[in-house]
Formats: sequence, C-alpha cells, structure tokens
Amino acid sequence: MSMLELHDVTAGFGAVTVLHGVTMVVQQGEIAGVFGLNGAGKSVTLKTVAGIVPARSGQIVFDGVDITRLDAETRVEMGMGHVPQGRQVFANLTVEENLRLGAYTLRRKQRSRYAAALDGVYDRFPVLRERRAQRAGTMSGGQQASLSVARALINEPRLVLVDEPSAGLSPKLQGDLRDVLQVVKDSGVTMVLVEQNVAFGLSLVDTAHLLQTGTVVHSSPVADLDEETLATHLGIGRVLAGATGSALTTRKASR
Amino acid sequence: MTAVTLPLNRTTRVHLPMMPLGLVVALFLPALAAQTPLLNEPHALILTEACVLAIAGLSLNVLLGYAGQISLGQYAFVGVGAFTTGLVTGVPDLRLPWLVGLIASAGAGGVIALLVGLPALRLRGLYLAVVTISVAYAASESLFRVDRIGGGSAGKVVPPPYFGSHALSTSVDALTIGLVLLVLLLQVDVNLVRSRLGRAFRVVKADESVAASFGVDVARYKLTAFVLSGAIAGIAGCLDGTAFGTVTGQSFDYGHALALLVIVVLGGLGSRTGIVIAAFLTSIYPPLLVAIFGDGVRGWDQTVNGMVLILTVAFQPRGFAGAFRDAAEHRRMRAGGAPPLPPTRPNLPDLGRPVGMPAPRRTQPGTPVLEAHGVNVRFGGLQAVDGAGLRVDRGTIVALMGPNGAGKTTMFNAISGALAPDAGSVHFLGEDVSALPPHQRAARGMGRTFQLIGLAKDQSVYENLLIAQHLAAPYGVLSALTTVGSRRWERELRTRADQTLEGLGFGRFRDTPVSRLSHGQQRIVEIGCCLVTSPELVMLDEPSAGMSPAASEDLASTLIDIRDKLDRTVLLIEHNVPLVLGTADELYVMDAGRVIANGEPLDVVQRPEVVRAYLGEVSA
Amino acid sequence: MLQVLAIGLISAGIYALFAVGVVLVYRGTKVLTFAGGEVGTAALYVTAFLVTTHGMPWFVGALVAVVLAAGLGAVFELGLVRWSRDADPVVTSILTVALSATIFATEINLYGNNPTTLKTPVAVGSGIDVDGVIVSPIQIAAIVVAGLLGFGLQAFLRRTDFGLAILAAADDSTATRLVGVRVSRIRVVLWASSFALAAIAALLVEPTIGVITPGYASTLYLGGLAAAVIGGLDSLPGAVVGATVLGLAQSFADRYLKDLGLSGLDYVVTLALLLVVLLVRSYAPELRKRLTSPVEVTA
Repeated sequence: MSMLELHDVTAGFGAVTVLHGVTMVVQQGEIAGVFGLNGAGKSVTLKTVAGIVPARSGQIVFDGVDITRLDAETRVEMGMGHVPQGRQVFANLTVEENLRLGAYTLRRKQRSRYAAALDGVYDRFPVLRERRAQRAGTMSGGQQASLSVARALINEPRLVLVDEPSAGLSPKLQGDLRDVLQVVKDSGVTMVLVEQNVAFGLSLVDTAHLLQTGTVVHSSPVADLDEETLATHLGIGRVLAGATGSALTTRKASR
Repeated sequence: MTAVTLPLNRTTRVHLPMMPLGLVVALFLPALAAQTPLLNEPHALILTEACVLAIAGLSLNVLLGYAGQISLGQYAFVGVGAFTTGLVTGVPDLRLPWLVGLIASAGAGGVIALLVGLPALRLRGLYLAVVTISVAYAASESLFRVDRIGGGSAGKVVPPPYFGSHALSTSVDALTIGLVLLVLLLQVDVNLVRSRLGRAFRVVKADESVAASFGVDVARYKLTAFVLSGAIAGIAGCLDGTAFGTVTGQSFDYGHALALLVIVVLGGLGSRTGIVIAAFLTSIYPPLLVAIFGDGVRGWDQTVNGMVLILTVAFQPRGFAGAFRDAAEHRRMRAGGAPPLPPTRPNLPDLGRPVGMPAPRRTQPGTPVLEAHGVNVRFGGLQAVDGAGLRVDRGTIVALMGPNGAGKTTMFNAISGALAPDAGSVHFLGEDVSALPPHQRAARGMGRTFQLIGLAKDQSVYENLLIAQHLAAPYGVLSALTTVGSRRWERELRTRADQTLEGLGFGRFRDTPVSRLSHGQQRIVEIGCCLVTSPELVMLDEPSAGMSPAASEDLASTLIDIRDKLDRTVLLIEHNVPLVLGTADELYVMDAGRVIANGEPLDVVQRPEVVRAYLGEVSA
Repeated sequence: MLQVLAIGLISAGIYALFAVGVVLVYRGTKVLTFAGGEVGTAALYVTAFLVTTHGMPWFVGALVAVVLAAGLGAVFELGLVRWSRDADPVVTSILTVALSATIFATEINLYGNNPTTLKTPVAVGSGIDVDGVIVSPIQIAAIVVAGLLGFGLQAFLRRTDFGLAILAAADDSTATRLVGVRVSRIRVVLWASSFALAAIAALLVEPTIGVITPGYASTLYLGGLAAAVIGGLDSLPGAVVGATVLGLAQSFADRYLKDLGLSGLDYVVTLALLLVVLLVRSYAPELRKRLTSPVEVTA
C-alpha cells in the first residue's frame, strides 16, 4: 500500500524551475528519506507535497486520493502533518497553545479526542508537559524540535513531512532529535524526512531517495546503499571518482 | 543647451530643445489665449491650480516614485511654502520682492522636510506613513491655525509679484508664472532622473543593501530626496498663494493631501508625464462636468477619484504610465517572442580604472591581494565565523566552499565590509582596511556580487551598469539638477557601460528590466556591474546558483577570462564542484565557521574531513 | 490638576477604542489601516439616516451601521486586498488610505460640510463634575468599553482556537496553514471586525458632541493610530496604555502651552510623542548592546 506517490512533478518559483519531474513512492508505515546537496530541490519537493508550492505539472497522490490541486489546509485535514524547516514553532505562544493549534483540525472534527491526544503527546515528550506554560520562543533548540514534532503528531496524522530537522542543531542536540524522531517512527506513522545531513538521516530512514538538480536520481532501501552509490548520486561523486568530465575539460581548455 | 532625446526607434533619435520651447509657450500662450474667448479669468485660475497640483505631484514623485520613501503628508509642505511666501513678502515695511518669497518658500519646504526626513533614516514603511500623516494633521489642524502663522480666519495675504511697477495680479499672470515654474521644474526633473543623484535614489528604492554595495551612501541620499521634494513642494505652495492672493489653513487639509496622492499614483509613480497629465485632467474635468451636467455633479469627482485610486493601487500600482509600459512590453514580447539568448562566451573589455576612482596599487603576480586573519563573527549565540582566515594572490581564482551555514557569506561580508567582525583583520593590497565602510573598500578596488542577485531588479540592464559606477562620477547635487559640470562624467560612465554591455553580448538587453532576464542572465549582468569599475579583486557569491549546467560552463570560461584576459583576481563562493575544479587555482573549505582545508582544489575535495563536512558521518 | 487628568482620560478612552481595531488588523496581517476613521464617520451617517431621518430607535440604527461596517470590511478583503497585484502590507495600507478618501468625498457630496445631527441614545443626564470638568455617563461608558475591549479581545485571542490562529498567522502564516488553519478566512474576519470596531468606537464617541461632519472621526482616529503605534502595534493592552499616555500628554501639554498663549496644538503633541517613541525604540537595541557588551575595537 502506498501512502504517497509523486509522478513526474515539476515546480518552481517565478522564472526558476526547481523540480524537473520528481517521481517517488512512499509505502505505508515506512520512513522515507530525501537527500541531496544544496539546491537539489529537497525542501521544494516537500513544500510541493504540502501544497505550499504549487505543482506545475505531474500528479501527487496521498493515500489513494489525487491531491495535486487541493490546498494545503485540506491536505492537513486529510491527515498530513508537518514539521517545517527551522521548526517554526509559534514563538509568542506557549507550549500548550502551540499544541492546541497543532490539533486545530482534530478539535474541529472531534473536540472530545483532544484531551487524550494531548495526554498522549505529553507522555511521549515529558519535557513539554513540564514546560506547558512556557513561551515556545524561549525554549532551547532541542525542546523546540520536540514541540514541533509533537505539534504535528497531536493531530493524529497518517503521514508526517519532516523538513531538515537537524539543521542548526549541535551534535548533542542532533542525538536528542534522533530520539524524538525515533518516537515518531515507533508510533507507526508514515514519515518523509528531508535531510542535508545524510549520515543523520540514514540512521533513521528505511528508504532513501537521492535528489540531484530537481530529479530523483536513485531510490532504494537503505540496506542496498553503499558509500559509492551515495557519493555518486549526491553530485559529489565527481570528487570521489577523480573529478572527471566537464570539470577537467574546462580546466584543460583554459591552460 | 537642454534637449530631450525622443527615442523614435532604436537607431534614430531626434533632439528637440524642449525647455526653451516650453518656456516660450509658457510665457506667451496664456496672454495670447486671454485675448480670445478660450481663456477667461476663472479658467486661468483652474489651470493655475492644475500647475500647483502638477508641481506638488512632481515633488511627491521625487520622494515616493524615485527614492521610495512613503509620505502621506506631502501637501503640508505646499502649505508651508504658501504661508512662507505670505510671511516673507507680507512684512509691512520691507516690501521684499516676490522672488525672495519664492526662494524662501523653497527653502522653508526643504528645511522642514529635512526635519521630517531625519526620523525617516530610522523608520521605514508603515511607521513613516504614520509619521508623515501626523505631520499633515499637525500642519493643517494645528500650525496653520496659529494666528501668527496662518493669519487667523481671514488667512494670510500674499501680495502679487511686480514686473517693474506693473503688478502681476490677474489669474492669467499667475498661470504664466505657474507654467514657467512647471517647465523649469520639469527640466530639473529630467536632469535629476538622468544624473547619479536620480540613479542613487532609484537604487535606494530598489534595495538599500544593493545601493550600499554600489557605494551609495543611503542615509545621505534619503535626506537629499526629502529636502529636494520639500523644496519643490514649497515652490508649489508659493504659486498657490500667488494665484489666490490669500492663504488659509483649510486649503491644505486631508482632502487636498489625497488629491495629490491620486494624481501621483494614477499618473504612475516615477513618471513625470503621467503625473502632469493626471494633474491637469483631475483639475479640468470636474468643472467641465459641472458646466455640462449642472451643479448636481459638483464634488462627485472626488468620490470617483477615490475609487479610481483604490482600483489603481490594487490592480495597477504603477498607474497610467505602468499600464502603458506593460502594454508596450506585451506587444514587443508578442512580436519578437522571448528575449534572445546572449552569446555563450562574453568578450570582456579591459576598461581600466575610471578617472573618478583612484587606481588600485597594482602588486606583483603571486603577491597577496587580500589577506584576512582570525575573523570572528558572532550572531547572538551563534558563532558564524570562528577564527577564519584566507589569502588571495594576484591573478588567481580562489574558491570558497562549504555546507549550508558554514559561514561563507558571513566571511564575504566581513571582507567587503558589509558587516563588522567581532575580531580579525582584513588587508587589501597591503593596506589594513578593517575599519573602512564598504563603499570605501569598493573605492579601493574591491568589487562583489551577492548570493541573491544584487541588482536593482526593476531597472534596465544599462541603468544598473550606470548605478554600478556611482563612485566613478563624483559630482554634486547642483550639478545633477542643472547638468552643469556633470556631462564630462556622464559621458565616461556611458561609454564604459556601453563597452561592458557589448563585451557581455547584452547589447540587445540594454533597456530590458533586469527582472525580465533569466536567472543566469541576471548573474552575468551582476558580474558586468562588478567589472564595470574594473576592480582589482572580484568577489562572487555563488555565481552559478540557479544556472543550468550549460550556463555554468559558460560562466567558467568567463571567470577564466577575468583572470587571464583582464588580469584580475577572483574570490568566489561556490557549491558547484565541477565549476570550482574547472576554474579555481586554490580552494578553501569552511565548516561551522572555520577553514577546515585549503590547497589544490582536486586534492582538497578528496580529503576525508571535507567529504565528512558535506555528507556527515557516513558510516562505512 | 484633576481637571487635566480627567480631560486626558476622556481622550484616552476615545483613542483606545480606535487603537484596538488598528492593532487587531495589524496583529493578523501586518497592515496598518488608515480607514477606521472614515468607516466610523460613515457608520455615524448611516445611523443618523436611520435614526434622525427615519425615526428608528438609536440602538437599531447603530446595530445596522455596525453590521454594514463589518460587511464593508469583509468586502474590502475579499474584493480588493486578496487580489491586489502587490500583496505587500504597505500597499494594502495605502489602499486603506484610498478607501478613506473615497468615503470622505462621498460624505461631503451627500451631506456637505454642515453638521448633521444625531440624537443621543439615552438622556445624557447631568454627568459627574470632576474639578469643573463635566464627565458625561457616555464618556465613562466609552472609557469602560475601551478597557473591556482591549483586555477582552486579548482574552479572546488567547483562549479560543480562532484567536490563537490569528496570533499564529501573524507570526508565521505558512506554518499556520500547515496546521490546517485557513489563514485567508481569518483575514476576512479580521477586516470585518476591525471595521465594525471602528463603527462602534465612533458610535460611542459621538453622542457627547451630538453632530457629525465629514471626516469627524478621522481626526480622532489619528490619535488611535498613534496610540497603537506607541503601544507597539502588537499588543492590545499596549494600545490601551499608548492611548492613556497620548491622552494625558495632550491634555498636560495643552494646559502648559495655554500659558504660553498657544492652543490647539494637539496634533503637534501627537507627532512629537510618536517621533520620540519610535526613535527611542529604533535606537534601543543598539544602546542595549553598547551598554551590556562593550565591543572591543580591533585596529
């Protein structure tokens, strides 16, 4: 059963096209990783799935429903959850207010479930219960990461999109973050994780999709990946392969 | 002496002596028309009011249209001018001539605008809007109602100007004066737009940090815009007072302030022709409608104007002129299709240093052009650059790589002076430039581009090449407004811009707004702007970002040309590994604010610590 | 002294009423609305039309006016702001100036510059004598309502999901959409309530005067705008405090300027206070930095 499918999706901003036809399939219950260098289109892929950046062509299917033309809010109502880049907690609201907003569509559908959902999240992230009345902006980066993940989980999503969670975190906090994401993984929710820090990402995901200049150049289970494939398909391959090709020809031509 | 160039088509240009012609018309047409039934006294008064509105519109246009500073209280300066004329020429025993009143009103407008402009250096956008609207209220509801200033309910009397012993007291006389002032100020506006002053205004409006990178002192030009616009508004006020003979506070209330906004927005920000047309139209059509449909329609023009203003702001914020230009552009695009691509390999001309800029001390090849040591930059709790240093030798291409957030751009900013590091030194051509502001480093021969394109996007390619030479033509404000003493400089600037344009192969894009070019083309223009002043060191921040693979190969040859043909030095931040390997003589890699490796590029990119910085710890 | 204080607080109440609407829109959209004054005046004319001309009860007329104002706000957002070519807060703010201009001109055309009367909702009674200043019950009501609105709306914003969504959308509209909140719907509600608040404010202020002229509420609205800016634009209690500061500053300045033979300089006081507050605030971060952490200057 596939939870999310992208078929030949293109997207971009103004005159710039970033995604030149992205195709990938995420199975229900798995953690899919999207990796690539700066500008490869990782985050744009995620934003297109979220509905923040419109797809110019192609098709996005979420749990069997074509969502290509639906707005971002509807996708959330349908069970998509988000952990945005830079965590984006509502800095001026308290922890509990952040969580309440996270459960916005849940509370509209079935308010009675909220109390249990909040308890569930607090049990998984005890630090948030301790700091429920603290303003989110005054918490540490690691705590904000927890809040951001909890805010997505409380709405009981079927699919969670996580955008560059490790960016800007110290190695120790990255360890904490890994634990937080492990909680998500254990809960059985399907997850798409975009990461620049490949090592960090690989420690969590089941499947890796490698992106280069707006297209998926390689998809496989993590078990089938080796360093060579990884390096080659991340665009830094020319380094390890001795930097052949256009680079060297240009160089020779100039001398 | 003064001529307006009418671009009839791309090759033929006809020169008409517009100003003398305009002056002749202004001086004689009203008097002649007054002999016919076409122009009577009430008509002349309406037309004079149109002149007042047009001049006030030009004044607001300097601020809002050119320099991009919001002012909702501009009409208050017209009031200041009117009352100043009354105060100065109305002193009983002195009998100062009208001309003194005119000069005083321009001066008073300028001085008060300077006072309003000072806070504008710190405030922008909405705060400036609130402050200026408060200025309007303070002037019309408080100051002008103080008896000593406003003359109480009777108003302030403005004596007519004298020509010899003949008083110029009729409305036809006032119209003549109004038209003459309008023609003169239009010429000043033409001169302004074409001068470095006008260019500086426009780039400040487009992007203040871009302006600073071209060496434009942003604060100074903002204040200049306020003073200039206040002075022109003061002149409008003097004309208003002269036309009516008395001035009262009510003449400068909210309604008038809005009428001014209507004509400037409707006419099109930045378009003097549009504004003058809008001023005359909105002045003439209401009395015309009243004449045709009777008194019932009186006043409704204000409602209509308001609605038109709403629709214009919402859907065509650039007014008549903008709609016109859009349509022309649309036709051109349909006729010629998409803009053609420039040749792949630019042929860069070696222009040499501009006359107005000091020649950099040339050093021997192999000696350092740039040396940075122990640079430290902290943002709050984040150590963005942590004791980084680098050295760039003359005649080399040095690349700086590193993962996101490694501190590359921050390092660049510390070198170019865009930010002050917490510690460390920067030496350029052997001189310690650590304490110099960015525009002085630029003047010494440091040129740079930005990660997000550092161009005035709404301006043409040519315009950007001129703005980039701001420091190369150091003439003053008066020269800019009168063209006296500025031509020699402008000729050199334009020659250099033309040569660069040709060299880049961008001749056909001369008048194309930068925003219409592709991303890769914008990059090339940006590099052109950097090279047009022929700096010793060319610093490029991610020049290949957003370029297609083919375009970045062309970029590689351009970089090599800069080094080999122009004999310049290049420092670039790049992510594109093939480009770096294909061009750079030396590579520095930064991670977490430190330089973690440097040396021969091919060697550096294979070091384990570099691969690790990019991929994280890949467990084998 | 008490007199000066009383006059100051009466103005403060008026300014606070208007400031609340300003802050509400700013919090949700980062737009500063300049139209509140004329929307308020227009609401008064509608009420006068229904009450004075057609003999409806005051409260019915007022209710219709408030509803119409809310409708205008919704239409303004749905029909104009949303479709603007430059979706920039500054451009939208200028749009409100244009709206204000249109309403103002229409008022003049319909009613001319002569005052239109609007009878008071309740018999005004004698009022309370505060050291020679007669404070009417309606003025007291206005002050109370201003305070209630300021703090009540703040409670609404923090206690309800919708209120939280408004606050969140102001911080980060994308992140807010990503929790499933329809931010565009919030904007309509914000504009509608802001215009309704302007109408309510004008309706509370007017009875002490009893007549309306075109642009009447705009002169007071400027005070509300200034109060909101002084209060920091993003806090409703801050707006109430800003209004109090402005009202008192004006009444004290008036008291002392009168001795110098100057009067009617309220707007100059507003301008001066605005400039002082804004400039001090703009320099504050630098000053704080300089005071707390002396930066070593490297040669």
